[in-house]
Amino acid sequence: MLARSSLRASRALGATKTSATRTATRNASTQSSSESAGSWKNAALASSSTALAIGSVAWYYYQYGRPMHAMTPAEEGLHATQYPWEHEKFTKTFDHAALRRGFQVYREVCASCHSLSRIPYRSLVGNFMTVDEAKALAEENEYDTEPNDEGEIEKRPGKLSDYIPAPYKNDEAARAANNGALPPDLSLMVKARHGGCNYIFSLLTGYPDEPPAGAVVQSGLNFNPYFPGTGIAMARVLYDGLVEYEDGTPATTSQMAKDVVEFLNWSAEPEMDDRKRMGWKVIAVGSVLFAISVWVKRYKWANIKTRKMLYNNPYAQQNATKHPGSVHRR
Amino acid sequence: MGWYDYLSDLGAALTIQSVAAEQAADPPAEDESSSEGDEKDDSEEAESGDGEDAAEEEEEEEEEEEEEPEDIKDKLEEECMKTPACAPAKHHYDECAERVQGQIDENGKADEDCVEEFFHLMHCATQCAAPKLFRQLR
Repeated sequence: MLARSSLRASRALGATKTSATRTATRNASTQSSSESAGSWKNAALASSSTALAIGSVAWYYYQYGRPMHAMTPAEEGLHATQYPWEHEKFTKTFDHAALRRGFQVYREVCASCHSLSRIPYRSLVGNFMTVDEAKALAEENEYDTEPNDEGEIEKRPGKLSDYIPAPYKNDEAARAANNGALPPDLSLMVKARHGGCNYIFSLLTGYPDEPPAGAVVQSGLNFNPYFPGTGIAMARVLYDGLVEYEDGTPATTSQMAKDVVEFLNWSAEPEMDDRKRMGWKVIAVGSVLFAISVWVKRYKWANIKTRKMLYNNPYAQQNATKHPGSVHRR
Repeated sequence: MGWYDYLSDLGAALTIQSVAAEQAADPPAEDESSSEGDEKDDSEEAESGDGEDAAEEEEEEEEEEEEEPEDIKDKLEEECMKTPACAPAKHHYDECAERVQGQIDENGKADEDCVEEFFHLMHCATQCAAPKLFRQLR
């Protein structure tokens, strides 16, 4: 039987050798009496239906399967590179020397356009400034007093509880001074932009010497690949040696950008150091409690886990003496 | 047991943290000494007879040397553009720039731009340069 069927299969294979090999095996199983004509029709039907199936799927994916982009890559902006930030690791804190440098960069460079309205002077104390330094800094600025006896609002030097003053009175004044572009407040900027630290660092250091060939840069804008739309009103501000660090760190563009980004991350997340320490406390206490719970469970369950249940069938025991084989049969 | 690994991990993490804390503690100490030194030099420059340490002088010399610091980011990225991983992107960008320049020369305006090619090139170059750059920054 096997020999005969294999013989037939080989004959069929020989007959359809000219057609595609995929259909040949199929013909071997659905072979009819009129061998030559049927196999040709079958091959044509099978291959055309296969072609139709593949073609329709391909057409569908060509029409609907590809991802849709509302914007061109230039309009999306270049995705920021992942930099190995030390302070973003689970077991690391901010480098507070870098925070001090970063605040210096903010004060000497960024503060002429960008406000930092959510940071009071008191929050600098103990993080990267002494009380006296922060007080001296606060006193450089004037703030409104409470209305006096005659209802007049006077000016007083700043205190630790005051917030860092904004460079412009309001958004409209900021726009008017910056060619219509509003320099955003930087307090929460690291949290407010996709890519966080990486985005700001890339933006600050990513200005090319000249825009790529053929790129259209509107007048008043500058080319920056990381800014969505690539046209940014802010010109490159960080140049080598712009700031003189008091700790002697070489003030390269990348170094200043790194420091100011770490400072901005601090201003967005001043609780980060405490948060990480609290997280490790939770993990430490939780792991101890978990271990205790495992041991207590084993202790409580010891009785139940080591208990043995026995069932002696009384009927079988009775009959065991009469018919020795009956127990085994059950 | 899983929780034993967990605890040993915890222990390892804590030791790393303490080392990092020591490392972080060192530079501020230097900063203080250097800033104090600067103040002293400013205030009592004439009578600075004691000359506290040779280290301070060395630091000053370093500062003088570092008057014009140079950013290594661009250099690292240019080196990265020559690596086999980024060479195709560089090739594509150069080809595009040449083509667009040709269009400008012929028609007076560019029919296309090389922003996308530039994106691919910069993506590759910055990704390659990022760890090298941060290893050299403080």
